[in-house]
Amino acid sequence: MKIDVRGEICPYPMMKTAEALKKLDGDESLEVLTDHAPALGTIPWEAAKNGYETTIEGAADSEWRLTLRKFEKEAKPQELLANLQEQLAALNVSE
Amino acid sequence: MSTNVEVREASGQGQFLSGRVAARIAVVAVVVLFLAYLALVNATLAVMWLFGLAFGVILQRSRLCFASGFRDIFLMRDAGTMRALAVAIGVATIGFWLVMQMMVPEPSFGSLPAAAHVIPIGLHLVVGGVAFGFGMVIAGGCVSGTMYRIGEGYVASWASLAGILAGLYLSTLTWNWWWTNHIKDMPVVFLPKWLGYGGAVALTLLALAGIVLLSYWWEYRSGPMPNFALGGKNEMPPMRLGAKLRQMYDLVFVKGWPIAVGAIALAVVNVFIYIYSRPLGVTGELSAWSDRIVSGLFRIQAPALLGVDGLAGCNLTLGAGSWWTSEGLFLDGGLIIGALVAALLANEFKVRLSPVKRRYVQSLIGGTFMGYGAGIAIGCTIGAFFSAIPSLGLNGWIFGFSLLPGAYLGVQVIKRIP
Repeated sequence: MKIDVRGEICPYPMMKTAEALKKLDGDESLEVLTDHAPALGTIPWEAAKNGYETTIEGAADSEWRLTLRKFEKEAKPQELLANLQEQLAALNVSE
Repeated sequence: MSTNVEVREASGQGQFLSGRVAARIAVVAVVVLFLAYLALVNATLAVMWLFGLAFGVILQRSRLCFASGFRDIFLMRDAGTMRALAVAIGVATIGFWLVMQMMVPEPSFGSLPAAAHVIPIGLHLVVGGVAFGFGMVIAGGCVSGTMYRIGEGYVASWASLAGILAGLYLSTLTWNWWWTNHIKDMPVVFLPKWLGYGGAVALTLLALAGIVLLSYWWEYRSGPMPNFALGGKNEMPPMRLGAKLRQMYDLVFVKGWPIAVGAIALAVVNVFIYIYSRPLGVTGELSAWSDRIVSGLFRIQAPALLGVDGLAGCNLTLGAGSWWTSEGLFLDGGLIIGALVAALLANEFKVRLSPVKRRYVQSLIGGTFMGYGAGIAIGCTIGAFFSAIPSLGLNGWIFGFSLLPGAYLGVQVIKRIP
């Protein structure tokens, strides 16, 4: 599933992602297109709580594509979250 | 360690010597030339412009959002922003204390330090705080948040600003009722009058420390949380001076700042601006704009406001006099332009139209609640909270705690607006 939340104001990018996650079937992945930098902090966090891992890539200036995939094996939110901060630090934006 | 979040940058992003450099230098040059021009014609306006720019840069770089500070406590059970605010308010409290102690060394006689945001306590703070807290969640940002997002290119924030101005005008129309029936009879509680500066500062810092502890309890009460060890891997190779400077430039102007850094920087700015003239405040000036707009467009004269001359802080103001000589214009204008410049430097400026049309209506309505609340509570999250608690008045605490139920109500409502 793909959602485009560009232009959405805070906190809708995160809320719409959380809603979309509930609608996914089985191992389906979710692609989120956003231009709201604070969402890069909130969406992976929300995703991890639900057992999804996040890949972030720059799509254009100030636009990012987040891909949320079901965590391999069983969901381990603690492990997902523990690595989140370090990996976000590598991204050229703040949380 | 597994890599659950991979980061791939878009090509060309963040290049130091790209074609955009000339444009960036031009924008910075215009802002600095304007500063030089102001310094020649009116030094106070130049200083206010500088403070405003710093305000905007700090908010944009750290994305410090008072609305999310209150909202995310309920929406995400995340109190991190609130924690950063509590620490920053503690820093400002120490600075304000030193300033106020110099002005009024002996507070027990009952005189108040000039310009300290100490105002009468009462129901107006509660009603205003709840309305403000509700409005800022509905609109997706408080007053200063709305202004820095205008600088980032959010079109919906213009609707919020229109709402804020409308709400401030509504509160101008009802102010005399509030004053006559309630505010004029309510006490001003300046904590050092009863506790001395030492006692008041100690009590304030203890209460802030209590908030920090409570914020952790709130996050951890559902069970253990992952442990983010500080430090991490350090595999940085040695670098040349050029690369080091580039790294530092990126750290300040391209990568975002941690929210606590932004909050503490804003607290330091607040102490400096108080040393210069008065604590940070945003909405007093905006209320003058709303009156100027209404009286200019519709030739309607707002009623004279009772009692406001005796109030410190962001009291409502009628727009007498010129736009261009008002200190607040340059502070508030500097906030927007500072955020714009910071966003341009970081490649984060973009005209962002909301794909959902009702978001504009939502921003307008939320803004109106905020404007009305800020009008009767004599300030927003900056003037009546961030500047008020360090002023050692009880009013800052009452307003702050009233924001919480407002934000809670706002969260319940936005969950139901698709």
